[in-house]
Amino acid sequence: MASQTETESGAAYAPLRARRPTDFDLTLPALGLLILFFVLPVAILLTRSVTEPQPGLGNYAELLGSSTYLRIFANTFIVSGLVTFVSLLIGFPVAWALAIMPSRIASIVFAILLLSMWTNLLARTYAWMVLLQRTGVINKVLIGIGLIDKPLPLVNNLTGVTIGMTYIMLPFIILPLYGVIRKIDPAILQAAALCGATRWQSLVRVLLPLAMPGMAAGALMVFVMSLGYFVTPALLGGTANMMLAELIAQFVQSLVNWGMGGAAALVLLVVTLALYAVQLRFFGTDRMGGR
Amino acid sequence: MKKLFALAAAAATIATSMPAAAADLVFTSWGGTTQDAQKIAWAEKFTEETGINVLQDGPTDYGKLKAMVEANSVTWDVVDVEGDYAAQAGKNGMLEKLDFSVIDKSKLDPRFVTDYSVGSFYYSFVIGCNKDAVDACPKTWADLFDTEKFPGKRAFYKWSAPGVIEAALLADGVPADKLYPLDLDRAFKKLDTIKEDIIWWSGGAQSQQLLASAEAPFGSVWNGRMTALAQSGINVETSWEQNITAADSLVVPKGAKNKEAAMKFIALATSAQAQADLAKVTGYAPTNVDSPELMDPELAKTLPDAQTANQVNADMNYWAENRDAIGERWYAWQAQ
Repeated sequence: MASQTETESGAAYAPLRARRPTDFDLTLPALGLLILFFVLPVAILLTRSVTEPQPGLGNYAELLGSSTYLRIFANTFIVSGLVTFVSLLIGFPVAWALAIMPSRIASIVFAILLLSMWTNLLARTYAWMVLLQRTGVINKVLIGIGLIDKPLPLVNNLTGVTIGMTYIMLPFIILPLYGVIRKIDPAILQAAALCGATRWQSLVRVLLPLAMPGMAAGALMVFVMSLGYFVTPALLGGTANMMLAELIAQFVQSLVNWGMGGAAALVLLVVTLALYAVQLRFFGTDRMGGR
Repeated sequence: MKKLFALAAAAATIATSMPAAAADLVFTSWGGTTQDAQKIAWAEKFTEETGINVLQDGPTDYGKLKAMVEANSVTWDVVDVEGDYAAQAGKNGMLEKLDFSVIDKSKLDPRFVTDYSVGSFYYSFVIGCNKDAVDACPKTWADLFDTEKFPGKRAFYKWSAPGVIEAALLADGVPADKLYPLDLDRAFKKLDTIKEDIIWWSGGAQSQQLLASAEAPFGSVWNGRMTALAQSGINVETSWEQNITAADSLVVPKGAKNKEAAMKFIALATSAQAQADLAKVTGYAPTNVDSPELMDPELAKTLPDAQTANQVNADMNYWAENRDAIGERWYAWQAQ
């Protein structure tokens, strides 16, 4: 486009340039698609939350006034927080190792990471079920080597959900972290060492603060994605660990009560948008993804 | 993130908007082996006889069905639904009345026929047990609720539907003919006593996995799934003691595009031969009373319709009336 304007018309037609599509114009088709197929249906569902079965806020009163539903809200946050924490704990060392290892080995590790992301979610979740159950491989091995005598309850509870979801979320924390850590100049760490910092000090006072944007971006993304997760908690958790997305699915599909379903969905949406606003406010869009 | 949303939206659009050619009939069921069997026993025969192409869709989703009817844009012509849902949806105006001048209901098991639905197939909740995993298998619902005599995890159906509440009441000593109206307080109190020992299964395949791996060596399961497990070489025992029947139903959503063809499809699907063919593959019972004659007697013996002596019928009309109230209480109790 640019070269065409310059070779054929030169600078004389400068006003034409004003009509060049801006970045915003280019997003219009995608935006239109989003509005038509995403924003609009969501808006309709949310409208039903205040019109069904009677107009008013009855659905919200029921949702927020019931100890059962409040427990599900609380549980959703607990699970998401736990998954985010464990993902960071495991993801940080992995990202760091990826950033400093020879690129040939790193690319193999990346392939493994991405391959796991591309494998069917349901298949992966069932695989965890088989591994974690009382008669599963992990318990059999632990009993076999004499570490435990009774099988550990690893599935159909909070442990199972946390393990299964952390496994799925790890790439989303490792990739942004890797981007940020790789950009840190190794000389800075050398400088820290030269100035007398111990290894622990250079980790806590130099590397961690520098990696903070990546950690925050990854953590928020994982937390927000976890809030709306459905398949893994449904299969690896017990009914006592129900999460919000499952509740919404129950309202919409099984009870065919769209008023309550819409109300629960709005609560989830508001929380997610609030978190997204926090992310934008403190980290900005340009720092996300580590690019 | 936005890109992800757009992609997902586009994928969803493509998946749901593939238009069926005007003359094609769309049959929707639950997927898996059951729908495969329905395709072979019913759809392919129907195409052979009428020349009308049958497209398969699924899984059945009551939310989606409601959306289609309300938007008056119904792409499903015949849908396989649960019996209690059929009875309720008929009353709520979600379904077309069936044309019984096309569908011969004189040979259909009257337990599963309403103005809006006919039985698709029927099944029983039975007590399944992996014999290799335990010393003794529970024989009755009372056994299944007795964690002292039969320690270990037990599998139960996760969703609010006829079956588990009835089992709890029977286990607590309520006579089969006094089950309805269901005493929910009593049922949940009984369920409380084994709540910690329940592993919920949300689909048939999961129930098989739980029993086969002995994660839950016994439980309340669909009879057909036990037949399949036995065929795959697992040493399972099925107790038919007070087996609780429930049926799937065939319905036509209100405003379906190919109503006439839909009635013909249902007529064929509920014919003696088609019902016998389906039962052969699935282990579920035919809803046409003439079907058993057309089947291998050895096989017919293994189906729920040969176990009527000790059978408890879930009351679909009661469930249709109370489906919402029970559902809300059920899920609230589960989440506690």
